Amino acid sequence: MSLIAARLNRISPSQTIAISTKARALKAAGRDIISLSAGEPDFDTPDNVKQAAIRAIERGETKYTDVAGTPALRRAIAGRFAHDSGLDYTPEEIIVSTGGKQIIYNAMLATLEAGDEAIIPAPCWVSYPDIVSLADGTPVIVPCGPNSGFKLSPDALADAITPQTKWVFLNSPNNPTGAAYSADELRALAHVLLRHSGVWIFTDDIYDKLLYDGVQAATIVQVEPRLRERTVTMNGCSKAYAMTGWRIGYAGAPVALIKAMEKLQSQSTSNTSSISQAAALEALSGPQEFIAGMVATYQARRDVVVGMLREAPGLDCHKPDGAFYVFPSMQGCIGKTSGKGAKIEDDESFVIALLEEEGVAAVHGSAFAFPGHFRVSYATDTDSLREACSRIQRFCRALR
Amino acid sequence: MEMAQRARALQAQAQAQAQTQTHGQAEGLARGGGREVISLALGEPDFPTPGPVVEAACRAARAGETRYPPLTGTPALKQAVRDKFARENGLDFADGEILVGNGGKQILFNALMATLEPGAEVVIPRPYWASYPLTVRMLGGTPVFVDCPEADGFRLDAGALAGAIGPRTRWVILNLPCNPTGASCDEAGLRAIADVLRRHPHVWILCDEIYEHLLFTSQSHRSLASLAPDLLPRLLILSGVSKTYAMTGWRIGFGAGPARLIAAMSVVQGNATSGACSVSQAAAAAALRGDQGVVGVMRDTYRARRDRIVAALRAMPGVRCALPDGAFYAYPSIAGCIGRTSPGGRLIDSDKAFALALLEEQHVAVVQGSAFGMSPYLRLSTAAADAALDEACRRMDAFCRGLTLA
Repeated sequence: MSLIAARLNRISPSQTIAISTKARALKAAGRDIISLSAGEPDFDTPDNVKQAAIRAIERGETKYTDVAGTPALRRAIAGRFAHDSGLDYTPEEIIVSTGGKQIIYNAMLATLEAGDEAIIPAPCWVSYPDIVSLADGTPVIVPCGPNSGFKLSPDALADAITPQTKWVFLNSPNNPTGAAYSADELRALAHVLLRHSGVWIFTDDIYDKLLYDGVQAATIVQVEPRLRERTVTMNGCSKAYAMTGWRIGYAGAPVALIKAMEKLQSQSTSNTSSISQAAALEALSGPQEFIAGMVATYQARRDVVVGMLREAPGLDCHKPDGAFYVFPSMQGCIGKTSGKGAKIEDDESFVIALLEEEGVAAVHGSAFAFPGHFRVSYATDTDSLREACSRIQRFCRALR
Repeated sequence: MEMAQRARALQAQAQAQAQTQTHGQAEGLARGGGREVISLALGEPDFPTPGPVVEAACRAARAGETRYPPLTGTPALKQAVRDKFARENGLDFADGEILVGNGGKQILFNALMATLEPGAEVVIPRPYWASYPLTVRMLGGTPVFVDCPEADGFRLDAGALAGAIGPRTRWVILNLPCNPTGASCDEAGLRAIADVLRRHPHVWILCDEIYEHLLFTSQSHRSLASLAPDLLPRLLILSGVSKTYAMTGWRIGFGAGPARLIAAMSVVQGNATSGACSVSQAAAAAALRGDQGVVGVMRDTYRARRDRIVAALRAMPGVRCALPDGAFYAYPSIAGCIGRTSPGGRLIDSDKAFALALLEEQHVAVVQGSAFGMSPYLRLSTAAADAALDEACRRMDAFCRGLTLA
């Protein structure tokens, strides 16, 4: 009897490990490495949030809480949903978990049986298909290319739905492309979904505070309230409030599903850290003014990166609406050879050569189920970004 | 939408919520006014998290240790865990043999998720922590119970264990000291268990030692792994900081075992929650590294409370109570009360009925033994101040004296 269960074989081996291992090794060897592979803000957790955590620690709020989150935090989340998105989730329709990832995990484990399909538009965060697979479901990857702004069209959605479809994933703004759906685009998708009453929607809105050029956030239940009864609206504190390490994600969903997710969570991790919950309470209900400054900073960095990458031969760089990533195409470089003799066969060989020859770490698009592209994070200071983009330009200019 | 089978299986297990339900009912009663409710239903220490641990957490928050931590744990905490195993258990684990999770519960979940195929069996001594059979069933496995009778002090008998192991057995779970009975195993008992396990080389052993520091016997805690290191290649130790250092809310547990198991468990965790809260990890490292004197103070307090509560229980008509070796529970039998009627008119035909009547009529919350697989018993937590424990016992004594055969 082999030790490891078959379900683990369905998980793709980590695509990013090769890159991060190489980057670490080069750094350890004294190379000057600029990492643009981070999926987290370079900002620090705001002071008022830290202070709230410290107060909670000193007051002894260090005991088990309700599994689904403290009543105060669930009320604050309901308030946030209402204020930011016009959503009317009650505290009973809200669950707090250890990161947005656990929301996905709970929802999929609570609902997927073998044979169930989950439609996942690509480029996508790799955890979506992995979690679906772990829960015995079948990921159905639907590529959405730059011609559609990396967004799922109503026709593509309708074509992908089968009698086995249980979930459709939406991620807006998207990791890795930064693409954000407008209210009209969501309405058009909702129009298709209204015709398929057995299909549920998982909308990952975790980047929705990071939107640029005046683009307004929109989420599907807000534009089509009739989908409320079969949607999980997920969000969290990690990206908007620079709280990645604190591990706070949350969702609004119909009570029956929340209860099922809560029971699953009660058997896997119980409540998320009581201290983190106190921190999140302050983040969500305290002053929000600092967000505008953070967004302005990200926007300026985005413009620097997009501007500079558009001058690199062989790259095609879109301008993202949100999040803190750019996802340029490198297809114009395929078949060429780098300055130091590496053959650029695909996105993975591109990022490996870029790392080895120029000391810039980025993530290949195949890691997001979308080859021919690579993801650059601009969650780092502008000087480093300028230097990194110069190196990318130089790398591309040297290709023959 | 219909929930998946694994979720439905959980929903059917109402007992899982017994602890929380009872405590919740108690809180509801308290909010409704009237006599103060004393809850002995929860499995967590009433001590505060120690001062130096609190300080370390605040420092970490201020210093910006708030980024995604590495999946398997921060280097500082993993090193502290390795040092703990070396210092306390004489065990030498490599970095790749340690996983930090969100509580010991997640370590359990990861291990089972990574290894259970449908139909695989998991041997579970009974009475048990409800999460063992619940998690096994949720993941498609079959629990196989080994009864640990009160007559044996609820201790696990090696012969009984041997009888439960078969060709489909994947895991044996050992919880020493035990929740809810506090039973542990002396060295001879552990050696006998090790001998049984040696005869079944296909079986993996999960040693849940979360209460390891709360042992009151003259023999201090020995890990099975320390006594039988030849079993290490198929043994996972589960422990954490929740009970030892009064850090239940911080959510830090850890597992130590063979690298390939830890790697598979890490894949599961990587898809569920990623790394545990960074600030909690800093706190846990400080707890493991710091002055361990606080642990002795808590242990002595729990021992004294155990003596107090067991004496009080033994004086109640219809109640028997074995003396627990460790943890912070008492697991009295209320067999002598079955068939009687409470002062409020409720027929006591089960431990659940007893617990309900005790709560309604005397405002004392305990958990019925059926939640732990053995009836008719109750689990009382001693994680409450002396005055509260005394008052709870006084009320329960009055309740028992008021039972009639009408």
